[in-house]
Amino acid sequence: MLTMTRRGFGGLALGAGAAAALPFGGGAWAQGADIVLGGSIPMTGVFAFAGIGIHAGISDYVKIVNDAGGIKGRKLRFAFEDTAYKVDASVAVFNKLVAQEKPTLYYGDSTGFSKTINPELERNGGMIMAGASFASELNDPKKFPLQFMAGPDYTEMVGILLRYIAKEKPGAKVAFVHSDTEFGRDPIATSEKKAVEQGLKVVEKIVTPPGSVDISTEVLKLRRAAPDFTIFHGYVMAPIPEFIAQAKQMGMTSRFMGTFWSMDNSMVQKMGDLADGFMGVMPYRYYYDTEGNAPMLAKIRQMRPEYQSTAYMQGFLTAMLMTEAVKRTLESGQDLNGKTLKASLNSIKDFDTGGIIGVPISIPGNSIPVGRIYRADVQKKLMVPASDWIKLEA
Amino acid sequence: MEMDWLLLAEVSLAGLGTGGLYALTALAFVIIYKATRVVNLAIGEILMLGAYAFFGLAAGWALPWWVAALGALAVAGVFGAVVERTIIRPMLGESPISVFMVTVGLGSMLVGVVELIWTADPHRLPEFMPNTPILIGDAFLAPKIGYGFMVAAAVIAVFVLLFRFWRGGVALRATASDQAAAYSVGINVPGVFSLAWIVACMVAAGAGILVGSIGGISSTMGVFGLSVLVVVIVGGLDSVPGALVAGLLVGLVEALAGAYLGGEFKLLATFSLLVAVLMVHPYGLFGTREIERL
Repeated sequence: MLTMTRRGFGGLALGAGAAAALPFGGGAWAQGADIVLGGSIPMTGVFAFAGIGIHAGISDYVKIVNDAGGIKGRKLRFAFEDTAYKVDASVAVFNKLVAQEKPTLYYGDSTGFSKTINPELERNGGMIMAGASFASELNDPKKFPLQFMAGPDYTEMVGILLRYIAKEKPGAKVAFVHSDTEFGRDPIATSEKKAVEQGLKVVEKIVTPPGSVDISTEVLKLRRAAPDFTIFHGYVMAPIPEFIAQAKQMGMTSRFMGTFWSMDNSMVQKMGDLADGFMGVMPYRYYYDTEGNAPMLAKIRQMRPEYQSTAYMQGFLTAMLMTEAVKRTLESGQDLNGKTLKASLNSIKDFDTGGIIGVPISIPGNSIPVGRIYRADVQKKLMVPASDWIKLEA
Repeated sequence: MEMDWLLLAEVSLAGLGTGGLYALTALAFVIIYKATRVVNLAIGEILMLGAYAFFGLAAGWALPWWVAALGALAVAGVFGAVVERTIIRPMLGESPISVFMVTVGLGSMLVGVVELIWTADPHRLPEFMPNTPILIGDAFLAPKIGYGFMVAAAVIAVFVLLFRFWRGGVALRATASDQAAAYSVGINVPGVFSLAWIVACMVAAGAGILVGSIGGISSTMGVFGLSVLVVVIVGGLDSVPGALVAGLLVGLVEALAGAYLGGEFKLLATFSLLVAVLMVHPYGLFGTREIERL
């Protein structure tokens, strides 16, 4: 398969960073070496829609930090290369950036990469890492001591959905539809138990092969199970719209729900009228959300007048939390390394994200188990809140 | 557990419906192989090109769907003509593996072009098929699958008739059975090669519009071609009836495996079928014996 390498991109971003730093003059960053945020970013390939948003989110936050004088006077620099969402390419980018740039922070692009690189990350010991993966497996500080994720893991996302369902309709019948991928299978077994704990009945679990477009037999099974709520996981878009279309044609009354990667507003609204009533869990506020006190969202809208995806918010918040970890480490006078950075990150308690997440957050382990239920409003063409912010206890 | 006959009927219908789309795409593959002996691995990507051309015309330029569909077929036809004349024909006489690799490269290029023009974001095609469900007795059939099947069946029927009675179709069959003899009776063999590519690309584009209208389109939808490769190997690379029968068979087996064993068994079932058929009939169900296996 053709993969466009965007080697030039990293250089461009660096150039832009340097240009942004010009007003401070040459000596403004003299207090210490640059702090480098390295990244294996999927700018091309199947995950490019997310990679492009993530890249923009991280770049914007880095710019905000540097415009405000950096972290304790040290400049933050984002150095990345395209991976086309392939684990071997991500590892190659990691090795190259570690050798050339000595990053103290790193953004990885997939669950596969996060797991593959973990032994190397621990051996290196000089950085902390987050990424595009919300895999439940990574949410284990013992096994992955130098990693974290800027939101709830997939099991926690489904947990938030189940909490909402149990409150809306006690004893409801729930069905899971997931892709036959590592991503798709991730939360299913645990969530089945969680559903029973919440007094819900799991009436059907449907697996779809990766890349399959035709789900007509699966819908037939789903209709016979007659769930009140159907939770999709492991998809970006296809085959969710066709599932909903055929289910509605057959007169099914189930509500349909999704998790983070199928919840971006531009993706959901591509479903057109089918999106009506589609719900799901989202840990961040949407770009256009003006309720509450959200100065960071206002800042983002000022920097980019056009809609930014939820992947953008994810990248932006990840960079924010990494910056906070660096700041706290430097303030306490410690060296910057994986251990100190992770300890500083875990000291984050009731932290204000500037409204990106609607409630103050804490990161006791590797995840932020907070989210909110949103519902598609097809008239407004927007995802609108359907619940308050839901916090899961450990 | 009591047997749910209605479910079996519905699942079988859905499987045959999907099988119709497999058969249509397999037809595109077989036309090229039959006429030119080229194993065209880019067929899935040509299908994708057709779907994107339709998307560009129907959603981008807001043309009525049938104009967009004709436009997409035209784009695919021109594409087929250009590719045959500039890439495939100069490769004639080279080793089959080289030509095969050229089509692999062609597929990659198409993915790149589509991502450059339309980005890698998945899209939905505009709705153009009726959305009232089809009921056969008490059995439910999803309208897109049902109408998709009918269109596929109609197109296939037209082609079978063309092959049988039209001069171009006869020339194609003549070229397929003996190139030298076809030359000697005055058939324009290079013209037949062009025709085969044009027609096959148009058929693939048509299949792309149908497949895309069901599952949406993305730059990775070319993997549909992989299932079709199974179909043509099961049916026999150079057999039109083989493509049709194997298309329906693979669709049916996939659907039954998905419904009764679970979605994770779909591919397993398809490839088990492939292995089983090849063990009994190494040239596919209806394939000609002397086909060289790659």
